[in-house]
Amino acid sequence: MNSYRERQRLSALRAYGILDTEPEAAFDDIVKLIARVFDAPIAVVNLIDEGRQWFKAEVGLGVRETPLETSFCAHAILQQDRLVVPDARTDDRFACNPLVTGESGLRFYAGELLKSEEGLPIGTLCVLDTRARPDGATPIQMETLRVLAAQVMMQLELRRSLRMRDQSEAQFRAIADSMPQMVWSTLPDGFHDYYNARWYEFTGVPDGSTDGEGWNDMFHPDDQGRAWTRWRHSLTTGEPYEIEYRLRHRSGVYRWTLGRAMPIRNEQGEIVRWFGTCTDIDELKRMEQSKELLSQELSHRIKNIFAVISALIALSARRHPEAKEFAGSVRTRINALARAHEFVRPHTETSRPTVGTMTLHAFLSDLFKAYAMADGTDRVRLTGDDAVFDDQAATSVALLFHELATNAAKYGALSTEAGFVDLETRKAGDRFILTWREQGGPPVAGVPERTGFGSALATLSVEGQLGGRLERNWDAGGLCVVADLPATALSRRLAARNVP
Amino acid sequence: MTARILIIEDEALVAMEMRFVLEDLGHEVVGTAADAKSALDLVKENDVDLALVDIHLSDGPTGVDLGRELATHMGVTVLYMTANPGMVRDGVEGTLGVLSKPTDEHSMQTAVDYALRRREGRTIEYAPPGLQLFG
Repeated sequence: MNSYRERQRLSALRAYGILDTEPEAAFDDIVKLIARVFDAPIAVVNLIDEGRQWFKAEVGLGVRETPLETSFCAHAILQQDRLVVPDARTDDRFACNPLVTGESGLRFYAGELLKSEEGLPIGTLCVLDTRARPDGATPIQMETLRVLAAQVMMQLELRRSLRMRDQSEAQFRAIADSMPQMVWSTLPDGFHDYYNARWYEFTGVPDGSTDGEGWNDMFHPDDQGRAWTRWRHSLTTGEPYEIEYRLRHRSGVYRWTLGRAMPIRNEQGEIVRWFGTCTDIDELKRMEQSKELLSQELSHRIKNIFAVISALIALSARRHPEAKEFAGSVRTRINALARAHEFVRPHTETSRPTVGTMTLHAFLSDLFKAYAMADGTDRVRLTGDDAVFDDQAATSVALLFHELATNAAKYGALSTEAGFVDLETRKAGDRFILTWREQGGPPVAGVPERTGFGSALATLSVEGQLGGRLERNWDAGGLCVVADLPATALSRRLAARNVP
Repeated sequence: MTARILIIEDEALVAMEMRFVLEDLGHEVVGTAADAKSALDLVKENDVDLALVDIHLSDGPTGVDLGRELATHMGVTVLYMTANPGMVRDGVEGTLGVLSKPTDEHSMQTAVDYALRRREGRTIEYAPPGLQLFG
């Protein structure tokens, strides 16, 4: 056998971790049985180590190992899957063996190879007798030898997999305990049966005290209901669990924690375990909160500055009656910008001007509220696709519709009792199209001869700022304005983030 | 219909502009206060029909409680005027509603008119569009 293959063979043998272990009944029973089947005095589970053969089980020898030089089994390994020597004295391979010529006087040998899963020979199950057996072994004896050798291997494989399981469990625990996060696991029904060292270190509770369902008491009373509901939801649906909640630290204070869990499934797709982590995010949360507070304070100041500017313009115009109209129009423009700012600035739940998301429709209907009828009925009817929009687009959208609405209120559909405006917003592929159609107002004579600053401002907003096209049609029934924008114009930052 | 109105607002320019608008409309502005304490003092020393109350004052976000106190214990009709109307979205006991700032003369005039009519117990069919009513 070449040295490479021999090294492989030895490493396969050692992987079983069986050498130099105590005798075990499972193997002892096998050698006793095979000795009786052969009616022979000696039977051995023999493992061929480096320079020695070591017996996991034996009858009739009284030793656990012998040197390799005199081994019959070493021959078996070199030769074939099984070896029968009816009379060693007449066999060239064994005639000079001291076990044959000497005091032991061995004559008969029958051995079956023990092979690892990879097919490497690691030893034999063999039977020896001091009497020669010219007829060899019976078929039933050889059959039994083969079956029992296979059983020996089964026992060895079983022990190896148990050892590997213990090792991987030990490795898992070592990894889990060295992680900065708290790690836990549960049975499929959510029964907690494992926490790593970090959990106990963080919470300071005695080992095992949070097994089962006791974990929920560790969280802030205000978070328990939410945590429980979400956890039950994950258990029922198999969806990953994720939650931010406050976990009680050993010091008694609650710290914000990110909880996550994933199910482990078997081959049939059934959940067999849940593995979860808790990560301390308290510092992060605090930083986030103070950042949020700061940005709200800042944006509140900005909103206030709009009010101050607006007041300043009004006060400045007081001494100049001829400037009253001019001041009024500047003020309403500034007010429209202030509204836009209010919609896109960072908000908390309480500072939000409307409940729910800040969408284009929500903003526009707020902007047009000033033009509603006395009973609150809208005179600008909004239909079509809604969209989210950001602070970059807000100013332009606010100015565009402020100009359209004030113009309609002065000369167009909103200048009469019966007039109204249909505003349709529509997403069409990569375009977003807003159609402003005035109806029921005074008849339109045609394109006006001169355009005011308001029109210029509307055009600038759409074509300069939003990168779209603005088209005005002076239909007899009323003005129709179409703003054709790139779909991304309303929230450029969002669009930029989505680019792969 | 003229009324005695108190302006509670910590931005002096905004307060001054409001005063002019209200005086143009023929109302009497009994004073302007920049914080809760001076507002309460003014109400104790004067008859006040209506108070226009900002939420963020020079002593902090004290406007909400101040408005409730004026409305429920001191017989003053209260309208909030603030850049941050979300703060009182759920309504405040005894007070009428909130007007979002910045606003224009017309909105302020109709809101004040509405509040005074309510004070007199007159039935009013519709609230002015810019005014968010409570309750």
